[in-house]
Parts: sequence; C-alpha cells; structure tokens
Amino acid sequence: MTTVNLHLQQVKERTAESMEEMWVNMGPQHPSTHGVLRLLIKLDGEVVRECIPYMGYMHRCHEKIGENRAYVQIIPYTDRLDYLASMYNNWAYCLACERLMGIQIPERAEYLRVLIGELQRIASHLIWLGTFGLDLGNFTLFMWCFREREMILDLFEAVSGQRLNYSFMRIGGLALDVPEGWLGDVKAFLQWFKPRLPEYDRLTTDNIIWQKRIQGVGILTPEDAVSYACSGPMLRGSGIRWDLRKNDPYGIYDRFEFDIPVGTRGDVWDRFWVRRQEMEQSVRIVEQALTEIPPGPVLAPVAKKLRAPVGDIYSRVESPRGELGDYIVADGSEKPYRYKVRAPTFVNLSALPVMLPGYLVADAVAVLGSVDIVLCEVDR
Amino acid sequence: MTAEEILQQIRARFGSEIRTSEVRRGEASVTITGDRNLEICRFIKEELGFEYLNCLSGVDWIGENEMEVAYAISSLRQPGKIILRARIPRNEPVLSSVVPLWGTANWHEREAFDLLGIRFENHPDLRRILLPEDWIGHPLRRDYQDERFVPYPWDDRKPGSVVRPTTA
Repeated sequence: MTTVNLHLQQVKERTAESMEEMWVNMGPQHPSTHGVLRLLIKLDGEVVRECIPYMGYMHRCHEKIGENRAYVQIIPYTDRLDYLASMYNNWAYCLACERLMGIQIPERAEYLRVLIGELQRIASHLIWLGTFGLDLGNFTLFMWCFREREMILDLFEAVSGQRLNYSFMRIGGLALDVPEGWLGDVKAFLQWFKPRLPEYDRLTTDNIIWQKRIQGVGILTPEDAVSYACSGPMLRGSGIRWDLRKNDPYGIYDRFEFDIPVGTRGDVWDRFWVRRQEMEQSVRIVEQALTEIPPGPVLAPVAKKLRAPVGDIYSRVESPRGELGDYIVADGSEKPYRYKVRAPTFVNLSALPVMLPGYLVADAVAVLGSVDIVLCEVDR
Repeated sequence: MTAEEILQQIRARFGSEIRTSEVRRGEASVTITGDRNLEICRFIKEELGFEYLNCLSGVDWIGENEMEVAYAISSLRQPGKIILRARIPRNEPVLSSVVPLWGTANWHEREAFDLLGIRFENHPDLRRILLPEDWIGHPLRRDYQDERFVPYPWDDRKPGSVVRPTTA
C-alpha cells in the first residue's frame, strides 16, 4: 500500500467514526443573519438536514404597547417594526385606522403616499441588494447600493426631518406637505438612478460567479409558498403573480400602470431578479405620480381624539417585504382593544425550514439573505 | 363568490355553530363557538377555495370570560376575504390546530400560545416563540401583571396618575 493510499484509508476510518450528524448554531451574533436570529442547523457533512429558527431576541411587546396607546400615538412605534421601510409601516397602520374609522384622505396625500412608498420600496430593495451582495462577497455592490439609498434618505430627510424612523404619515393623510422644489429633486434622483440599474447588472445579473452562486439554490415550490402564506418577492419568485397593489388595490394604486415581475423556479435567483425588476417598476410608478400629482391639502380634517367604532379589521398592504397586515380590534374607546401586526418577514421566515434542507451550509447564507428578513419586524 | 354567498354556504353547513355572521366592508365576518374550528377551516379552504391564511391572532375578551382566535383567510385565485373568529372559554382555552391545512399557522399558533396562552391541539411543536422558554405568564392577556411593566407617569387616562409636565 502506498503512503497516499494508507493516508486515505486512515481518513476514511476516521470519518466513518464521526459520520453522525451535528447540530450547529448560526447566530445569534452572526453577520449574515441581518440582526439577532439564531438558526439551529443540523449538518450532515456540509449538507443542511434540518433547520430550527429561534427568534424573539428583540421582542419588545409592540402589540402590548399598542393596546395601551391612543391610535395616533402608535404611529412612531410602527416605524420601529421594519426600520428599512418605515414609511410603509406608517402607511399600513394609518390605512388600517382610516378604513376602520371611515376616513377619506385628500387626493394630494394619496399621491404623495404612493410616491414616498415607492421611493421607500426602492431604498429597501437597494439595502437588500447591497447586504445580499455582501453576504455573497460582492462588496462593490454594497457601496453602490448604499450610495443611491443615501440619496433617497436625503429626500426623506427633507420631508420628515428623519433619516430612518420617519413617523411621517398620519391617520387622515400626511404630517406635512413636501417642501418647495422637492418633486424636482425626486425627478433629478430618478434621472441619476435609472442608468445605475444596468450598472448593478454588470456586477450581479451578468456576473458568472453571482449566477452560479444563487441559481438553483433554496427552491420554494408554489405549493409551499401558498401553504406558508409567503408574500411579496418570495411568493412572486415562486411564480405566483400576486401583488396587493394590483390584486387588492389600496390607496390609488389602481390608477398606475406597472407590471408584476415573477420568477419561474422559485430559487434565490428568482427572488433576486424579482426585486431587481421591481425597482424598475417602482421608478415607473414614481414617474407617473410625479406628472399627475395635484395641489391641495395633505391632511383630512380629523378629530384630535380619534375613536374607532366597535368592530375589527384586517387591513393589508404590499410592503417591500410582502403582505404587511394590521389586525385591529376596536372597542369604541380611543385605544385599540387588540392590535396585531402580521409582519411579512415573520411569515416568510417560517418557510425557511422548508427551503434549507438539502443544500450546503454555504448556501444557507444565500437562502437566508434572499428572504430579506428584518428581525425587528419578526420579533416585534 | 360574494361575501353574502360565502356566508350562506357556511350557514347552511355549520348553522348550529355560528353565533354571528354578517357582511362587513364587503368581507364575510363570522363568529363561531370553538369546537369545530378545524372542520370549518377545512370547509373554507377545500370547498370554498380560500387557500391562503393571511393572519391568525388571538384576542382576550376578559369581560366576557372568553378567548378568541381570529383567522383572516383569503385566496390568491378569487377576490373576497373571510374573518373567522372562534370563541373558546377563557379558563380552558383549547382549540384544534389548523397546521394540517396551512403551514403558516405553525408560527402564528405558537405566537398565540406564547403571548395569550391559547393551546392548540395536535400542533406539531407548540412552544414559546418570541419570549424566553422559562417566561412565566402570557403578556397579551388583559390581566397580565409584571412588576417591570410600569405605565408612563403622564398617562392621564389612569386615575390618580401624574399629569405630564409641560415645561422642563
């Protein structure tokens, strides 16, 4: 027996002894978990056999706090749910209250909400693309995406004074009108942003490493996607053409022309590609909103102490991460009796144990990244 | 299928279980007594074709000494929404799990168990999800008390509390 063969023999014997599966903790402190999430992963060699997520490290009783605050007072708390798309959280909550109380908001506020909401979607997808690139080792992309996101944050800072937790929307409209010349700034941003998307493609879509890394990984079948009630790019990545902006329009989304990009295989690539194309569609919506936006007030005349009539409502919007729903039970007082947030990433993350088994542990990072989790929203 | 038709079908099938049923904002809104929630959910999913469970939330109706689990159900193939509320006694809050119908119910039910103490029979893995495993009590119950849970001193809705100072 040659030395090499002898060595191989030893290796085989040794691995035969230790072939049992192993539980590995990924997180709570791990750069690719995008927050504080712990994944308990059962490994067979390099292959993931089972995955159990543990969360709640950032649980802060959002719903309990909501039960003890007046309807208006909850708005700043909603910012802290999905801090990468605060405007959309504001919108979802305000819309639920408006539907519950039967408040009609002014036309200009509707347009500004769509405009700001879509800019927020672009910003949120940019940060997703950047950090997802970082997960896969694409650092340049991260810098580029953050450069453009910074511009959107500047725009939001100009309207609300904040860069992350805006609290800009109110029950009945918006806190303020946009400053003079702001719509021109948005136009200028779009002029800058549109040629950037093909530039990202050079780093991502056309990049052979990027393709090899995420194609055919983390497949979620349409059946599983529906059973686990996935929404947003997760659901569309699995090939189901479902977007609340089109299928259950809220606000004035029925007035805009845009497409719903869908994937075909339901892998990480499709989820990436759906988000990448959604940025283009958001640009289209913002452009239409810019040309049609009417002058006028931005806040409906609403009472200072808002009371909702007895009843309950489940109201949902299409946030950048999926279906963001608010279930509010009102007992006629100025506080909600029960306030539950159906966080899109909480539900999307529940499909992770279905997506991971069978793939390599290195792919787990890509699959987890493709869910686009925000742990503050998962834990509430 | 309009909301009224949905209600008629549910009424025809489960008339004795239904406490209230009405059309609210174009949505079917049904309250049932808890025992047969799994059957009604299966009927809604398989025969009415509402295959998407949007949300599941527990509510503590302490005044009526009852717990409630509200299912918001819709479909990706047809318009229409159903809100189904299952009422159960508060001192024995047990319901059948709907995980066999919808995978998403798994975490939602764990959350309702964690925060409200509602138990779901035949749930595959019923344990706390957001709070630590050794936590005592269920915070979203209306009578939950915790010495760390201090109301804001300026909460003027509570009798005997301090009014918020307006100057520094």
